[in-house]
Amino acid sequence: MFKKLLHSRELTSIVFIIVMFLGVGAINPTFLTLQNIWLCLNSSVVYTVVAVGISLVLITGEIDVSVGATLGMAAAISGTMIRNGQPWGLAIICALLVGLLIGCVNGFGVVVLKIPSIIMTLGINGIVRGLIYVYTDGKWIENIPFDFKLLSQGRLFGTVTFFYLGALILIVLVHLFLTKSKRGRYFAAIGDNIGGATLLGIPVDATKFSAYAMCGVFAAIGGVIFVSRVGFVTPLAGNGYEMKVIAACVLGGISLSGGVGSVIGAGVGAAIMASISRVLIFIGLSSDYDDTITGILLIIIVVSDALLRRRTVAKARRERLSAKTLAYDLEVKGGAGNE
Amino acid sequence: MNKLKKLFVRWESFLVLIIFLEFVVFGTLNSKFLNITRLFNSLNQFLPICIISLAVTFVMITGGMDIQAGSIVGLTSIVVGVLWNDAGLNIFAACAVALIAGGLCGALSGFFVAFTGVQPMVVTLGGSFLYSGLALAVTNMSATEAYQGISNFPEAFRAISKTKVFGVVPMQFVIFLVLVVITYILLHKTNYGRKVFLCGVNQNAAEFSGINSRLIIMSTYVLSGVAASIAGILLTAYLGTAKADLGAEYTLPIITAVVLGGTSNSGGSGGVIGSALAALAIGLLRIGLNLNGLATQYLDIPVGVLLVLVVSFRFAGTNPKLRKFFMKKKKPETVSKVEKVD
Amino acid sequence: MKRFTKFLAATLALVLLVSMMSVALADDITVVFIPKLSGNAFFESANVGAQAFAAENGFTVKYDGNPEASVANQVAIIQNAINSGADAICISAVDAAGVDDALKEAREAGVVVTTWDSDSNADARTLMVSQGTPEQLGEMLVGMLADSLTERGKNVKEDAITYCWHYSQATVTDQNSWHVAGEAYIAANYPNWVNVAPDNYYSEQDAEKAITVGESILTAYPDIDGIICNDSTALPGQAQAAQNLGIDASKVTITGFAAPNSMKDFCRAGIVTRWGLWDCQIQGALGCYMAYLLANGQEIKVGDSVEVPGMGTVTLEPNTVLDPAAYTADDSGVVLLPERAIFTAENMDNYDF
Repeated sequence: MFKKLLHSRELTSIVFIIVMFLGVGAINPTFLTLQNIWLCLNSSVVYTVVAVGISLVLITGEIDVSVGATLGMAAAISGTMIRNGQPWGLAIICALLVGLLIGCVNGFGVVVLKIPSIIMTLGINGIVRGLIYVYTDGKWIENIPFDFKLLSQGRLFGTVTFFYLGALILIVLVHLFLTKSKRGRYFAAIGDNIGGATLLGIPVDATKFSAYAMCGVFAAIGGVIFVSRVGFVTPLAGNGYEMKVIAACVLGGISLSGGVGSVIGAGVGAAIMASISRVLIFIGLSSDYDDTITGILLIIIVVSDALLRRRTVAKARRERLSAKTLAYDLEVKGGAGNE
Repeated sequence: MNKLKKLFVRWESFLVLIIFLEFVVFGTLNSKFLNITRLFNSLNQFLPICIISLAVTFVMITGGMDIQAGSIVGLTSIVVGVLWNDAGLNIFAACAVALIAGGLCGALSGFFVAFTGVQPMVVTLGGSFLYSGLALAVTNMSATEAYQGISNFPEAFRAISKTKVFGVVPMQFVIFLVLVVITYILLHKTNYGRKVFLCGVNQNAAEFSGINSRLIIMSTYVLSGVAASIAGILLTAYLGTAKADLGAEYTLPIITAVVLGGTSNSGGSGGVIGSALAALAIGLLRIGLNLNGLATQYLDIPVGVLLVLVVSFRFAGTNPKLRKFFMKKKKPETVSKVEKVD
Repeated sequence: MKRFTKFLAATLALVLLVSMMSVALADDITVVFIPKLSGNAFFESANVGAQAFAAENGFTVKYDGNPEASVANQVAIIQNAINSGADAICISAVDAAGVDDALKEAREAGVVVTTWDSDSNADARTLMVSQGTPEQLGEMLVGMLADSLTERGKNVKEDAITYCWHYSQATVTDQNSWHVAGEAYIAANYPNWVNVAPDNYYSEQDAEKAITVGESILTAYPDIDGIICNDSTALPGQAQAAQNLGIDASKVTITGFAAPNSMKDFCRAGIVTRWGLWDCQIQGALGCYMAYLLANGQEIKVGDSVEVPGMGTVTLEPNTVLDPAAYTADDSGVVLLPERAIFTAENMDNYDF
């Protein structure tokens, strides 16, 4: 497994984040303290959890742009309940159930109604955003009990927060599920070649549906963590997270056409995304350039990666494609997949 | 079933029906909806989306995706403003430069999509960050602070949006119609259009048949960049202010319009008329609902519900199990549940 | 085919239902109350104030805002207000030049236009309910920082004070105008102060980003004396960041504008000592009430005084009270009402919004 990792796309991302940290450290040595590095990683916890969820969907070759809204809804629900003094456990369960529900609705639309995933989740995104506004009546949820906020500050040996530790464990579990279990391997199989997967008798619909359901739950977990970390919930909570998280997955080597990538990569990508605005402050660049740098990084990393791999991949793909085209055209013309 | 199929085939006619229904429903509920002058004024806000969706249709037909057009709108607007205000360029020369800039932005992304094989969504996601960041950088070149917006444009420029043909139809709408005709001819009546479709159906096959598929794919992004620039110029003229963040919220409505218009997001099929109709249908829906008292902050809910419902009419037919249900009246829940248990 | 028609019918019914449910009650005078964006604590509070006041005084306020603050969205809302035959508009403009045409069109159509919080061009509205000029607000921000620094034992006139600004974005109008005015005030009065980040820090109204940015400022500049957060998301985010790092008001002064409720906990925890705002509930209510009076046919000219239920008498001042070079006309003036308030541990519990 380690050997595999060495050759993998995740490694590029890990090397990149190390180089980025060292580079910033060279410009501003105050950055390179252990405390600060942990601060960087710990603050990526929400992105990480949501990225793990969305990567399940991306690996099957679909997309989900409603995770930001799902996160906001879960945050609004758990935030309100906790503020009103209801048991934390109940609040969290309610939030996760709502996440599950939104995920299932997405799954139903994509799997049963065959709506293209981007349009289905776009629609759900709008609906859920509107519902958050209705639910909160536009108001902020403030005065979250201090004890609940303290949860996000709990640290193991003063380094990693328990939340981030949990996120890391989650990554390992999901990674094992995707690579070791039979059912988990279906995800990549479907994303790689949906026609072939169908022919092999893989339950394509059920797998995709479960990917959406899990994605919804993970986004909701992200929402609960958001409440604890931020301490107040605005109706705009999670706005735009969908694109940031997708970018994180891509930075971590997940292909949007499905089949390629791992949740480890998603985690690394999330750490990169969360670090960019922090890094800029340390090298003294204006926040004006947040977006510019993110955009340039995204394009450079992905393009250089694509060029590096081009020779090997292109050859293999062409062979696969020419064999596949016939079956593909017959079987799933107009199905999922962007290429 | 046959009729149903035909209806699916002529998706555009279904969209016309929806627009017609909107007029009937909203007109009945509130006769003010039928005041054409006022309706055109309201529609002005949706025209940038309509115009961009025409070009994004090309992109999506090749199997691509464009989520950067919104940020090119802002970049165009601020480029026009800064060139005119700070560089002292003639306003129309500034517009010409902005059009070229928009085309170049599209070309850059298009190049990466076509020649490196990176997924279009990723490239244009990067592009959307990059170009909106660039727009801010351009703003910083101006003596005017970023937040103020550059205004006081000459009347000749404002006239682009203020002139009304026959006293009713805003010039912007006429420009939109002209663009519909141009893009329709380009996509459906020319050799170039056929190549665009071929690239979307099967890029390899297109390549084998002697088409320079990469160039074609890249060209569609140039088109969408130019369309975004046109929209940006019109919007600047209409609002009378040049700001870097104009158009930032257009990304998702554009994609919605194109897919609702019947263009498959996996490429190979679609058309500009559908996109134009769909963009208008969404615009009219928002105007109509708001006119009947639903405040803007709630609009996303009914619009989202209708979007999902309408699109499910279109695609549910491709699910063999559901089809069975429609013909034999089996319970769909059990069918799909059984499947899910696997 | 039958089922398909049924589906179609269901959709139609849905549209009808949604529309019917939301048809506004006619006859009343309706004021369309337009925030810069919906879902922001400041604007939502103002709406609460406006709604309550309208209910007591017999007119209707329709709160209509887009979740994205953009000029185009506001123009759309103004156009819709004209179309729907609203009697008056009370708006906080995202961009004065951008809404200029639309507001003038509204006035031509007989719709009364008032502004609040953020003004349009003076000739596009009848009156503005103003919380003060950018200069006053910038000075207030700097003043709060200076007061808290003095409390900490700093000599603000001589010590080399380091500070920075942290707010939402480079493109929003009001926060940037306060920043510019505040910087001018600092340059004139505290030339010894050093801004560690002249380009400012932005958190785009994203609460998590506000914390990330906040933590980074505090770790990148461990010796910084003060941070001014003139944004209602940035201030609590910055305070949370300080709390996360175990930094309190004795080490770094954090101040800015935010609704009192969102900051009370941080004040009790000793993270912040003072922050400010103005009573946006009164501002919203007053803006809508003045619009209602004008739409009801009452003539209010510059210099006139109006009795407002529960608020006392307000006077319409000429535009020149805000800006000596402003446009003047009989039918265009300013109401200076919501007084700016500085919240501290002593007085914060008197405010609930």
